[in-house]
Amino acid sequence: MKHIVSSALALALSSTAVFAQDALPQQDNEWFQAAQAELAKKAGRQPITNKAKNVIILIADGNGVGTNYATRLFDGQQKGGYGDEHVLPHEAFPYIALAKTYNTNAQTPDSAGTGTAMHTGVKTKAGVLGVDASLNRGDCSATEAASVANASEIYSAMGKSVGIVSTARLTHATPASVYAHSADRNFEADSNLPEGCDQKDIATQMLDAFEAGRLDLALGGGRRNFVLKRDGLVDEEGKAGRRNEEDLIARAKTLGIAYAWDDATAADLPLDGTPVIGLFESSHMKYEADRTGEPSLAEMTEMAIKSLQNNDKGYFLSIEAGRVDHANHAGNLARTVRDGVAFAEAVAKADELTNDEDTLIIVTADHEHAIAFQGYAGRGSNILGLSRQINPNGTEALDEPNLAQDGKPYTTAGFLNGGGAILTEDQDWFGTRPQITEEEATDIDYVQQALIPMSSETHSGEDVAIYAKGPWAHLIDGTVEQNYIFHVMHHAATAE
Amino acid sequence: MNRRHFMQATGSLLLATPFGPLAFAAEAAEAAEGTLKLRTLYNKDQSFSPLAKAMEGQRVSVDGFMAPPLKADSKFFVLTKMPMATCPFCETEAEWPDDILAVYTKRSYTVVSYRRKIITRGVLELGSYRDPDTGFLSRVRLSDATFHLA
Repeated sequence: MKHIVSSALALALSSTAVFAQDALPQQDNEWFQAAQAELAKKAGRQPITNKAKNVIILIADGNGVGTNYATRLFDGQQKGGYGDEHVLPHEAFPYIALAKTYNTNAQTPDSAGTGTAMHTGVKTKAGVLGVDASLNRGDCSATEAASVANASEIYSAMGKSVGIVSTARLTHATPASVYAHSADRNFEADSNLPEGCDQKDIATQMLDAFEAGRLDLALGGGRRNFVLKRDGLVDEEGKAGRRNEEDLIARAKTLGIAYAWDDATAADLPLDGTPVIGLFESSHMKYEADRTGEPSLAEMTEMAIKSLQNNDKGYFLSIEAGRVDHANHAGNLARTVRDGVAFAEAVAKADELTNDEDTLIIVTADHEHAIAFQGYAGRGSNILGLSRQINPNGTEALDEPNLAQDGKPYTTAGFLNGGGAILTEDQDWFGTRPQITEEEATDIDYVQQALIPMSSETHSGEDVAIYAKGPWAHLIDGTVEQNYIFHVMHHAATAE
Repeated sequence: MNRRHFMQATGSLLLATPFGPLAFAAEAAEAAEGTLKLRTLYNKDQSFSPLAKAMEGQRVSVDGFMAPPLKADSKFFVLTKMPMATCPFCETEAEWPDDILAVYTKRSYTVVSYRRKIITRGVLELGSYRDPDTGFLSRVRLSDATFHLA
């Protein structure tokens, strides 16, 4: 019998036809039908091999396969489903690969090393930007010699416009890796440079890139790194700057760059190709759950594409959802997934506003976190909440939670380490799991229980997914080194 | 008694002592009025919420986490809505979140780990105040406060 079924499947695979002769008992099953439809779609897929006019890379910082899974379930459950069956916009892209994210000196990477890999094509050490691995972190004297060409330099040299968008500070690791060369990711303002360090700070490098025509649009947070910190001098929100020397917002205005600092001024930005800088928060932009008075990531994505597409030669645009990572660091999955959904909406917006024939879209993460999923939860268990028992007589989970050996319920999602650790110093590093209810676990401020006590939950070195569509997207395939992403983008933009 | 039971027993004894009968009175009040969440004192734009304004000058209960104290043997600590994680990859230096509550305790207190949820009870004060010992500038405080583990 097994042999007969195998033969029938082989026939189906070769023809994708309905099993007219050797009908299988399950052929009308909805899962069977859906998989057949998927098979037919993929069998008819044709790679696009013309030159990409535009390249967009969307990076959700810290959004590995596990974190993305949490966002998928959350978004699906918010939309009324069980969650598992939901498909995020990038999950419908035709091509996918796994990226190995390690830095040259770090099994567990940081965002500076990973951003450099994606935006320059070479892996490097943790904590450095736009330089190769010959530079030891913090050695300012070696920055120039170790510098490698970055995306803003490479794509502007092709005549393309270049844009960066991030919900983190624009001087933070991932967006900075598009345009900066720095011996340390923390050299964001001149006040962060150590004495005797003759390298320019990252904010100054951003303005230099605008002045040189290597950067045309930058929307995100981090205003304080552009504002002087003199007594009495504050930004639009009354917050002090961090710069010792030059006020870079004044410099931007002198250079004819249009400037916005909140959602109202953003709405007035010219999107006709005029260079644009938006600095919407003193530090990082707000989490999506807390957002007020500033544009969403999808809105910034729309502004960026409308502005950059004025260039007939196309554009390179790097978009980061920077705070997926920060919420994970806080062990606060409720905010992680809401920023994850905001990222998915930005992906959908980028896809909606572009054409597969001339725009390569890459969606990925720079690294994963120490997030894990546990227990045998039934369908529809809230991904932020308690693991509920599988219903053997139906689909949706029973109301009763699964219990651990301590007799207490537990959440499906957790972190291996971080602020939610149950071992505490005031108990001589002993501890027991707190009792937990569904209401507490799904609260916006809930921090998932964790084991190893650390002040901040950590990254992990496990693979992240790369999703792709558009010209040469079929080269996103297999398990690859993270810096390979740069090479696919560059190949697509230069193919003859 | 094995070591684990001993630790648990001494732990609960140590933690129960500083709060004394005050804790029972506080818990009774919480049961009657409910415990506020720290975030309900602020609007999204960090202005004070109507609830905070309505409760100003009254004795209220607020839950949260004790940030690692700025100064030893103090009667002052900062309550945060989530465990006060410091993230070297997020920030170039330690920074306070926007929505915090300064707590001035009635008595000297024993420090509780920043990971363990506590419930504080005291008189709600609004407006800027700079702590003379630590220089910490607060916008909202509880004064004459007590607390206990949640």
